[in-house]
Amino acid sequence: MSWLGEFEDELKLRGIRPAARERLLAEFADHIACEEGASTRLELTRLGKAREIAAQYADELAADDARRGALGAFAALSLAALAVVVAQMSLGRIGYPGFNHGYGTPLALIAIAAFVIGSQVALVCGTLAAWRALRRRREAVLPAAEIALMHRRSRLGVAAGLVTTCGLLLYAVDFIGVLPAWWLVLSGSLAVGASAALVVAWRAIARGSATVALTSGPPGDLFDDIPPLRRLRAHPLALWALATLAVGGAVTVFEWHAEHSLAEGLQRGVFEALALSVCFALLGRAIGARR
Amino acid sequence: MRAEALKGHLDGLILATLQGGPAHGYVIAQALRARSEGAFDLPEGTLYPALHRLERAGLVTSEWSTQAGRRRRTYRLTRAGEKTLDERRLEWRVLANAIEAVLA
Repeated sequence: MSWLGEFEDELKLRGIRPAARERLLAEFADHIACEEGASTRLELTRLGKAREIAAQYADELAADDARRGALGAFAALSLAALAVVVAQMSLGRIGYPGFNHGYGTPLALIAIAAFVIGSQVALVCGTLAAWRALRRRREAVLPAAEIALMHRRSRLGVAAGLVTTCGLLLYAVDFIGVLPAWWLVLSGSLAVGASAALVVAWRAIARGSATVALTSGPPGDLFDDIPPLRRLRAHPLALWALATLAVGGAVTVFEWHAEHSLAEGLQRGVFEALALSVCFALLGRAIGARR
Repeated sequence: MRAEALKGHLDGLILATLQGGPAHGYVIAQALRARSEGAFDLPEGTLYPALHRLERAGLVTSEWSTQAGRRRRTYRLTRAGEKTLDERRLEWRVLANAIEAVLA
């Protein structure tokens, strides 16, 4: 088999996209043709091993794609956050309708739960993915396990973002007969626009994760992303307890003051703590918060 | 000189080669060998992943042309590439002076 044939096979094995593969092959074909009559010698002695060059290319591309995917996810999530904030602030001016004023209380509860939990998961996962991409921006090659961690965080962030925008849409549908038409059009358009941005980000992550990186090394975790937490690496339960108490407590105090009711504050604080515990149990390992 | 010894410097060397004007991979490989008087004898195939990486980082741009019926990708330094090259030169001078001071 010729050097180019072997190189093409290696690129395919590493999941290099067809456009990039064709470009590389054309460049190498031109390089070989530049030394007319000496191509065999050139191929064997000066180009290097096809497998090693394909590996170098794939490892660098995979690292770049993971970083771009994470930053793209963060940008799309920022748009989604903006959409949610605008919709919520305008709804605040109109006045929130009661749960039982829509088509059905369960529908409203599902929409609000998707909205509240999805937005927080999206914030945590998207921020962690982008933070890791920025921290490792100067590394040409990253361990395959670390690239996988970045992809998981990005994917979870985008998926949670989509849950949030769907929650916003569901809320608008539930209160279609109660809320003014301008708000329904505004929030519907914002939710659809943000969802489109998230779908684009999702596709970029999926395309990037097709490249096979094989560099060995540790995946990294939350504790090297946030150095003050390093002491908790061996104690995931302590991290969970700390996060639950901090977030649950903060929500309790905030809602107590906002609603002028300690009972309301406690109710929402406990819900927040429970939601965080479930997310920690389900997603903690995937985002590198526990081993 | 072994390819391993050039690791970390290859990007700067490619940028310096492109400062002379746009070039394609083969010309860059020849220029590296000629300007180093044969000392940089790295596997030429490793240039292309490096060129693609530099392009993704916005330090070079490239475009296709056709020469003698063959498709050829020509690379050109960008403004960001020129700035990075200046930084690499400065870093290298500091490092070379320090090493010289210790070894001499």
